[in-house]
Amino acid sequence: MVIDVQIASLFTAVSLIIIGIFAAAFLDNLIKKVIGLAFIGDGVNLFLIAMGYKPGGIVYIYLPGMAAEWFSQNAAYPLPFAMVLTSIVIGASTMAVMLGIIIVLYKKRGSLSAKEILGE
Amino acid sequence: MIEYLFMLTAVLGAILALMQRDLLKSAILVGISGASIAILYQYLLAPDVALTQAIVGAAIIPVFFALAVYKTRRMEE
Repeated sequence: MVIDVQIASLFTAVSLIIIGIFAAAFLDNLIKKVIGLAFIGDGVNLFLIAMGYKPGGIVYIYLPGMAAEWFSQNAAYPLPFAMVLTSIVIGASTMAVMLGIIIVLYKKRGSLSAKEILGE
Repeated sequence: MIEYLFMLTAVLGAILALMQRDLLKSAILVGISGASIAILYQYLLAPDVALTQAIVGAAIIPVFFALAVYKTRRMEE
């Protein structure tokens, strides 16, 4: 395969973001809009992880016996990994709040269609 | 070489989840897409992120969607 893993992951992340924006903007069902927002979050997380990847590198765990210079040249960049770990959990909790608001809206209006709720 | 298959599974799961009329199938396909993204994190040298994504993206988020579908209606009108 001629395409690098990093470049292919970046393409995957961009396609997930495009699919999510399409779903959040053009689909009518409210739950599908929330699914699209979840895909946007996944795509952004995958983009950050793929930026920190180092081809042919090792996992950023310092084991005894490693030389410090060799480790700093070969380990993957660990800062986006620590931040993405927080971002995944925050994404899940905001999605739970969105689904709760959708359930309350369904009990008040009796529909999941955005056009019907907005009265268009 | 197998990581390209998981990239394809992530994108195809995302597209198929938005094409379903049954929202419960849609929730399961979101879980498949999240699980393949978790395996992809393992190949991108981030095993801690892969563990978190495997729990959150493959188990918790589909359960949230299934609960929301259970409280509202299953078929998209």
